[in-house]
Amino acid sequence: MRSFSIVIDGQEVAFEPGQTIMEAAEEAGVYIPHLCYHPDFKPHGSCKLCTVKVNGRYATACTLPAAEGMVVENLSDDIQADRRRLTQMLFVEGNHYCPFCEKSGNCQLQAVAYYVKMEESFFAHFYPRRALDASHPDIVLDRDRCIQCELCVKASRDVDGKNVFGLAGRGVQTRLVVNSESGLLKDTDMAKEDFAAHICPTGAILVKRIGYQIPIGERLYDRQDIGAVGNRQPVLKPRE
Amino acid sequence: MIAAAELDRLVAYEDLPSGGSFMVFNATRDIVRIAQNFAHFFARESCGFCTPCRVGTQVLRRTIDKVVSGHGSEMELTEVEEIGRLVKSMSHCGLGQTAANPILDSLKRFRERWEDRLGTRDFVPDFDLDGALSEARALTGRDDALAHLDR
Repeated sequence: MRSFSIVIDGQEVAFEPGQTIMEAAEEAGVYIPHLCYHPDFKPHGSCKLCTVKVNGRYATACTLPAAEGMVVENLSDDIQADRRRLTQMLFVEGNHYCPFCEKSGNCQLQAVAYYVKMEESFFAHFYPRRALDASHPDIVLDRDRCIQCELCVKASRDVDGKNVFGLAGRGVQTRLVVNSESGLLKDTDMAKEDFAAHICPTGAILVKRIGYQIPIGERLYDRQDIGAVGNRQPVLKPRE
Repeated sequence: MIAAAELDRLVAYEDLPSGGSFMVFNATRDIVRIAQNFAHFFARESCGFCTPCRVGTQVLRRTIDKVVSGHGSEMELTEVEEIGRLVKSMSHCGLGQTAANPILDSLKRFRERWEDRLGTRDFVPDFDLDGALSEARALTGRDDALAHLDR
């Protein structure tokens, strides 16, 4: 059988026809920073963190199918600098306070920020006003930390079969909304066991009363960076 | 955006690609305000799907507003160029990929118009500390000298 390969930062990476650059890279253990991509779902391509240069042109690794002869620039200083700016944009657009966020250490946004060597926010903060929803007995929805990746929307709709979340509004006013008459999470059938309750890459959707079960210092990204650990969550729903 | 010296250029895919419309501005118009208007337009038009366009067009709008308000420095012009390039290269669709064009073009061709707008200081912070204190002043009912930043 013929084998196919692309080159990422000088390293040869094999792929099966139909695989995206991201899928081929993940299989080969090559980390491409990302936030809205999740292997269980169709790629979204919105966070743009996985932007790479393919034969000199910008493309998102999560959406572009790998093709023989592609030369991919992933961790060059230029690309990482652009990703640093993108990450800073995500930070200033919302209200992200790592020091008192219970997701700290398990947060992919924070971990990616460290990975791209973000040391300050660079831009002036937008300080948006976003509604907090603590109405559900077991789950809290803190929109301040939402980065609009849509993973909870997909997890709820495609895995849990409940269709609890959606994105509404447009532009910088885009907000995560809850599909119930009152707009509150307590009036949905969402349960803390749902995939949607555990997929958020940031601390926007948290299960209550487990925040400090794993102490700071022993969390997912406390000892190893996200390049080594990958984008997984500490509490994963078993997959059938 | 082109300058008067380039009026012999062609509106064509190979030279100046256009959706079929063009605007002509005479010498009485303010280039920086034209760029600011485009920045506001695209900050409003961005659908919000991708990060570089959703946030980048806001950053461009805010930074240009800062320059127009007289609080800009060379640093802001550099930032506009850097973020403009990023929005152009990383955005998902044609809107984001072209949103920064009028701004970048005007900086390239009419940079002195932008420089006329810059204040005398090397840097003015984006965060208005005295403005932030005004809320505390209102809440405490204070208006004495110690409740103001010494400027």
